[in-house]
Amino acid sequence: MKRGDRITAVVLLIAALLVTAFWIFTHRTPGIRAVVRVDGKVVATVDLTLLEPRTLHVQGVLGPIVILADGKGSIRVEEATCPDQVCVHTSPAHSPGDQIICVPNHMVITIEGRGTSIDALAH
Amino acid sequence: MRKTTVLIAALIVVGAAAASFLVWHASPGPLASTYFLMDTVLTVKTVGGDAAAINEHLHALASGVERMTSLYEPGSETAMVNAAAGKEPVAVSPEYAALLKAAAAVEAIDQGKTFDMAIAPVSSLWGFTTKDFRIPAAEEILRTLAYCDADQLELTDTTARLRDPRARIDLGGVAKGYALDVMEAYLRTVKPQPEQVIVDFGGNLLLYSGGQKTDWKIGIRDPRGQGIIGYVLSGDAFVATSGDYERYFERDGRRYCHIIDPSTGYPATLNQSITVISAIQPMHGAIGDALGKVFFCSSAEAQHTLFQEMQGKGVVGIVVVDASGTRSALGQVTLVLASAQ
Repeated sequence: MKRGDRITAVVLLIAALLVTAFWIFTHRTPGIRAVVRVDGKVVATVDLTLLEPRTLHVQGVLGPIVILADGKGSIRVEEATCPDQVCVHTSPAHSPGDQIICVPNHMVITIEGRGTSIDALAH
Repeated sequence: MRKTTVLIAALIVVGAAAASFLVWHASPGPLASTYFLMDTVLTVKTVGGDAAAINEHLHALASGVERMTSLYEPGSETAMVNAAAGKEPVAVSPEYAALLKAAAAVEAIDQGKTFDMAIAPVSSLWGFTTKDFRIPAAEEILRTLAYCDADQLELTDTTARLRDPRARIDLGGVAKGYALDVMEAYLRTVKPQPEQVIVDFGGNLLLYSGGQKTDWKIGIRDPRGQGIIGYVLSGDAFVATSGDYERYFERDGRRYCHIIDPSTGYPATLNQSITVISAIQPMHGAIGDALGKVFFCSSAEAQHTLFQEMQGKGVVGIVVVDASGTRSALGQVTLVLASAQ
């Protein structure tokens, strides 16, 4: 192996490493989080990997909504002023893709982060 | 010689970095938009094309379908047909007549025993229209059922009429699916073409890629919790789900869901959820939506017979979660259970 070839090999290796590092950097995903939106605008984001329970007070279109993150990776609607209470009855959300929807309040909680393996959810 | 090698290597590094950046940059995330209408959520995710304009236009199309079909808006064609019940035929638009015709064809599959546009007065008895839920007396249900059969609607290409003055139609069981039909027709013609569009209208899906994608991964929601029970793979499709878990009320530990079995007048209890996957064909958004109710009100045995009859008519497959929670699939779909992943 000539000296020039060795340099080429080293440089190619560095190039490959750089490309890999760049790819990992641009594709990294943060931990699982709950994103609360009212009328499509983000009003709160909760990191569900944190161990402390937290209560969120969000203003919906109809009135206040109380959201509880239990500190064990789940989030649910504790109280809302909507007439049907569908959101309060919805099972706690914890996995990427899970949703809790309050139509009268125009509020959607979506779990985002690693592990969303499906394109769409039939529900 | 050495300098040349270093130069070439340096070019490779820069080239590789630039290429990876371009690959990353050329496939940005979808533009997601959320809208609230028809008493539910419309979410549109578009990749490629003029995504912002596409999302806005899809919303406008859905609003148009709401104005046409709404049970509550006084100017809607549904409201006009209902207001004239028992009187003269009402002139309707060609689009509305076509929708009624498609829904009537699904009713005809089993003579309106499992899907019936005219069941609205019975749904109202249970409080599903006002959300003031109650359990009606058996005698009250029977009396109301007498004028809620699928034969109430007299239809021509330009007119509609309800025979009994107390009869009412509600297109809630097909309107969302029909909106997906209207959206798909628009997406096919829009220029420049988007790469992918995912429309979720209250749980009814349109998966569009202009026929490019053959492996859409469609998650089936667990009817008794969050998360999915599994997924199916499909090409572009309409996906309609009827479930007992989003709109329901409970009394004394019993669940009463919003889908009324037209043969009894009581909320259907045979299944927890039905997902109908339909090929992209005219009106199959609406038809799939209505078929969801047919299968939701049918036993496993009846489901098999029905499916045999409609194979090759645009229904790709059906995922069933029955009342005991047992999952199964009919047709050319394979349900990959979440636990088997």
